[in-house]
Amino acid sequence: MTNDLMLLMPLIIVGAGAILLMIASTYDKFTHELAAYGSAGVFAVAFLVQLSSCIAGNVAPFSEVFNGILVVSNFSKAAGLIILACGCFTALSSQTYFRRNNFCSPEYYSLTAFAAAGMLLLTMAQELISVFIALEIMSLAIYILVGYDRKNVISTEAVLKYLMLGAFAGAFFVMGSALVYGAAGSTKFVKIGQYLAANGMLHSPVMIGGAFFIMVAFLFKAAAFPFHAWVVDVYDGASVPVTGYMATALKTAIFAVFANFLVIDGALQHKWITFLFYISVLTMFVGNLIAIGQQSLKRMLAASGIVHSGYLLIALVAVGTKDFTGSVIAFYLAAYAASTLGIFTALSYLGGTGEARKTFDDFKGLAKARPYSAAAISIFLLSMAGIPPTAGFMGKFYIITSAIDAGQITLAVLGIVSSIISMWYYLRLIIAMYFHEASEQFDEPAPSSLAPVCTFILVLCVFAISLYPIAV
Amino acid sequence: MFADGLFIGFAVLAVLGAVGLVLFRHPMNGAMSFVVTLISLAGLYALLSAKLIFALQLIVYAGAIMSLIVFIIMFLNIQPGDLPQEETKLFYVLGGGIVVLPIGLFLAKIVKSLPEHSTEILGNNFGGVKEVGLLLFRDWLIPFEIVSILLLVSLVGAVILAGKRGTTK
Repeated sequence: MTNDLMLLMPLIIVGAGAILLMIASTYDKFTHELAAYGSAGVFAVAFLVQLSSCIAGNVAPFSEVFNGILVVSNFSKAAGLIILACGCFTALSSQTYFRRNNFCSPEYYSLTAFAAAGMLLLTMAQELISVFIALEIMSLAIYILVGYDRKNVISTEAVLKYLMLGAFAGAFFVMGSALVYGAAGSTKFVKIGQYLAANGMLHSPVMIGGAFFIMVAFLFKAAAFPFHAWVVDVYDGASVPVTGYMATALKTAIFAVFANFLVIDGALQHKWITFLFYISVLTMFVGNLIAIGQQSLKRMLAASGIVHSGYLLIALVAVGTKDFTGSVIAFYLAAYAASTLGIFTALSYLGGTGEARKTFDDFKGLAKARPYSAAAISIFLLSMAGIPPTAGFMGKFYIITSAIDAGQITLAVLGIVSSIISMWYYLRLIIAMYFHEASEQFDEPAPSSLAPVCTFILVLCVFAISLYPIAV
Repeated sequence: MFADGLFIGFAVLAVLGAVGLVLFRHPMNGAMSFVVTLISLAGLYALLSAKLIFALQLIVYAGAIMSLIVFIIMFLNIQPGDLPQEETKLFYVLGGGIVVLPIGLFLAKIVKSLPEHSTEILGNNFGGVKEVGLLLFRDWLIPFEIVSILLLVSLVGAVILAGKRGTTK
């Protein structure tokens, strides 16, 4: 009983923290800087509690009362850790960002915490209706964060686009859930698995259709190939800390629930392997093509996020449904989150007022003016490109070996090819920073020391994560 | 047989209402057309003997939410001149139809493959307030409770996106 409570504690802390921040933000004395420290504290405490929980196998906390809807496993624990860490770093880098950009109010931090609560629910939910509600909690909070700067036209366009397309994806998800319920007679993952084990996948067109619609919704949220068009504009329109939060925590939550859904039953995953194979290949290469053409740094990072979704889809294709641990996926997500969040944290204090520095050219000669920041950014870029000894290399290594183990040699080779192509746009920024003369001075001091400190902690994380051993 | 006729009637009305919502030029006509959809959906719920949902659909959706929408549209006082010129609308509607068509065919195929069952009303007060309440608090406690967070988030969001924002403190 106590243990059950402890397993849910991170979720309770983040949820209660979000509500407290919301109430506190009505007071005039509660400034947005205080809210930043408060929310960072909430995330840090939740992170430590999550870290301390011991889980053996799949545990359903309060299974009598909650009817087994929430299931905690080591995979959900790892995903939760990534989400909470992302939340903490986002809160701290936002503090620095909003010293220079004047559109913050304390509710911003309350919404980050609400989004994190939705994401944690998403990693644990093992039932379609709860998944849908958790998905909407997360998405609604993120929509608002994207459109937080109401005076900025680009950000308003981004939120409208994201809201419309996101609602469409949500509708697909509900349609799919209804069809799956029609076939299996239940929306719980366990019951669906039992139905599939008894009847097989192909006997029921309703089941195939339902699973297809649900997968469309997940692919949309994960920014996979046919549904990737929104990503670049939305990431570009959001403010830098929010973009970092979306690119890391949101992706972690989506891939956690996607993996949980796919491993319901071997038949379900097996049926979609060919489909996911093409999706992941197209996602990688289309993402690369988009990223190569970008001049703006944020847009390039958005497109590279599409490519990383492609790698994660490789991991999903290769995932084994028996004794699913999800360690490869969790490891890659952690590695990707550390380096992506690092870049966005660095941008939140280097970007200047109103995010004036946007393009590759604006960062020319950064290494001369700010050698440490430039070195940190280079490490993050190299990690995203997959150069040893960074975490990104180990993540890709695990994904590709797991693909080879699963017999997906073609996919593994294409993954490596795509990773080589991606060097093009990652190295471009490094070249701009190191081998060009500075056109401007970068002499304004960082508005506060929090974001620079976070950046260097994340540099350490990039190396530390690569040393963390996992069983493939 | 009578129930079948009612079902077809409500289904056609629901779809027509939705089509009207998309095609009407003035938002008020669209809203009125949406009321038709909501009421026919209530009829469909009644045919499934879901009494509580039927009542809620009429009171909350067709009643409260729709009057709010209509109120806001009237508040904005939209004249025909305020509406944008949509010369390419037909083109967009046709294009959208072509894009959605495969999904529609796919759904039709799924529905066709369903085995034919003759169903009967379950009895024992199925769909009543007590039964729905028991189900909601016994089996569906988690979704029921987390919806409250969802509503809270949307409330905070509405205030932030539309409300007056205090100067940065």
